[in-house]
Amino acid sequence: MAAHGELITAVIVDDHAAIAAGVRYWCDQAVPPISLIDAGDRLAGVWTGPGADADVVIFDLELVPRNPDFGELRRLVDSGRRVIVYSQHSENATAIKCIDLGALAYLTKREGPDHLVPAIRAAAQGLPYTGPSLSGALAADDAPDRPRLSPRETEVLRAWFASSSKELVAAKLHITVKTVDTHIARVRVKYANAGRPARTKSELVTRALDDGVITLAELNDVAL
Amino acid sequence: MTDAGTDTRTDDRAVDRAADNADDVEARTRIHLQRSLRIATLIVAIAIVCGLGLLNLLRQQDTHDNFVVQVIAFALLAGILGMTTLLVVLRLQWGRWRRAAIAVVFLAVALSYLTLPDGKTSTTTDWIFGAANWVGVVVLFDRPFRTTASFLVAHELFALGNLVLFHEVDRASLARFATGTVSVLGFPLCVAVAAAVLAWLGREAAAATRELERVRTAEAVAAATHRRRTQRFAELSDTAVPLLEGLADGTLAPTDPVVRRRCSIEAARMRRLFAETDSVENPLLHELRHCADIADRKGVEVELDARGQWPQLPVAVRRDLTDAALTALATATSWARVTLVGSVDLVSVSVVADCGESGVLAPATPEVRIETFGSGGTIWTEAQWQPMAS
Repeated sequence: MAAHGELITAVIVDDHAAIAAGVRYWCDQAVPPISLIDAGDRLAGVWTGPGADADVVIFDLELVPRNPDFGELRRLVDSGRRVIVYSQHSENATAIKCIDLGALAYLTKREGPDHLVPAIRAAAQGLPYTGPSLSGALAADDAPDRPRLSPRETEVLRAWFASSSKELVAAKLHITVKTVDTHIARVRVKYANAGRPARTKSELVTRALDDGVITLAELNDVAL
Repeated sequence: MTDAGTDTRTDDRAVDRAADNADDVEARTRIHLQRSLRIATLIVAIAIVCGLGLLNLLRQQDTHDNFVVQVIAFALLAGILGMTTLLVVLRLQWGRWRRAAIAVVFLAVALSYLTLPDGKTSTTTDWIFGAANWVGVVVLFDRPFRTTASFLVAHELFALGNLVLFHEVDRASLARFATGTVSVLGFPLCVAVAAAVLAWLGREAAAATRELERVRTAEAVAAATHRRRTQRFAELSDTAVPLLEGLADGTLAPTDPVVRRRCSIEAARMRRLFAETDSVENPLLHELRHCADIADRKGVEVELDARGQWPQLPVAVRRDLTDAALTALATATSWARVTLVGSVDLVSVSVVADCGESGVLAPATPEVRIETFGSGGTIWTEAQWQPMAS
């Protein structure tokens, strides 16, 4: 896995050549650049060859239209891969299921380099990234087993979804961008601590506890 | 006009529904009348075949050369009548078996004629002449008049053929045949005419009912449309009418950016008004889409994203929620992001766009709160609905 400062490598599995080409362009333009391996629409390219060693997997959830491949996502996460789901669709349930399975980010294809590049950098370090679209899904999640969020956390999620700019969220809510990030991070920790166990998720919780983003008492409190 | 188009579609649907109802009435009326007459005809047929026919057959037993064949012919007719009775009870028709039934009737007639003693045509010995016709009428009851008439004529020709080919044609036999024909052809024909007239009457009555229903529905629809239009006009008159009047009398110049801005907003408001009457599953989102479309047409890049579920909100609340978005979208310069997040107790509509600061109207409903926040040429307007704590 890439240590700090080393070149990050990512592998993309997507059946649309234009998407892979676009993502390659964004990765080349990023500072520092990200090395991208294009596996085409072949999942094998993620498991063998150069793709097997990539730090981050960018995974098109619907290689077969209308048939999200949650099973493959689970296998990738279970073998310790750091996965960004890059999907055409924006259904709440799909996004939340991917997060529950252990994906570090869920981005819709309408979310461009402003979100994909930071997501790749975060994932390379085992950190989650929450784009506006996923933020909206988390804010609107009304599943009975969802973790309990504070009113402020929900407000931040909603504002991030609405404005798509953390500066605007910070200015509107009279907090700093760092605080915005902390609120979003706490939400992700709460979600990581709930549902199906996965290595990426437990790493995320452990790190949050170490960094003091959330306390054990608070975590126990939200788990219903 | 979108407005008129929508109304016309609604009208057409209402009138169609009325017509469907009338069709039901027509069908019911016709079925009822026909069933009564069908039962009556069946009773007559049974009385004639099993009463008069059987009586004649038994009385003239000795005159027959081959009585067994006559009994078989009778059994065939009785069988057809039995089947018809069963069908009437079950409210069924002969359907595709009808041809076979008619063939059986003619088979019975043929059997009877072939074994009829010489010179006995159109006498009481020739019992089947006045019986088979009624069986045919019963079987063909629900067919058009011409089918029944054709059958009766065929039956007549059969009898005439038998007379001419196998019996002696003389004045007496022809006279018997002619007299017999009066009842054999005449009476069943009367029944067939009655059935045809009844069916026609049923159709006419139903058509009259349908016409009445259609006129009433059209009147009600017209009244409702008029009411809706008056109400819409009243809603527009506060803001759109002064603008149009100003443009018409020249006090407002179309080149003035403020006037243009007002025009954009009014156009969007009208679009929303028209969208309000569409019957869609999710009216709030539908109306927002229409607002977004206005900006989209101006070349503004619009992102519209909605999350969660929300309850059905009244029109007044929806207007308050979309008003800010509408104003921002109508005045956005190059881009706008419209989002909708909903839950049971909170619905939030946000627009972030590069539009000028604008005086958003105060919400009309107490449950809606509107906040505007501006930073560096970007305006973020959020309208939130929260139900009053009961």
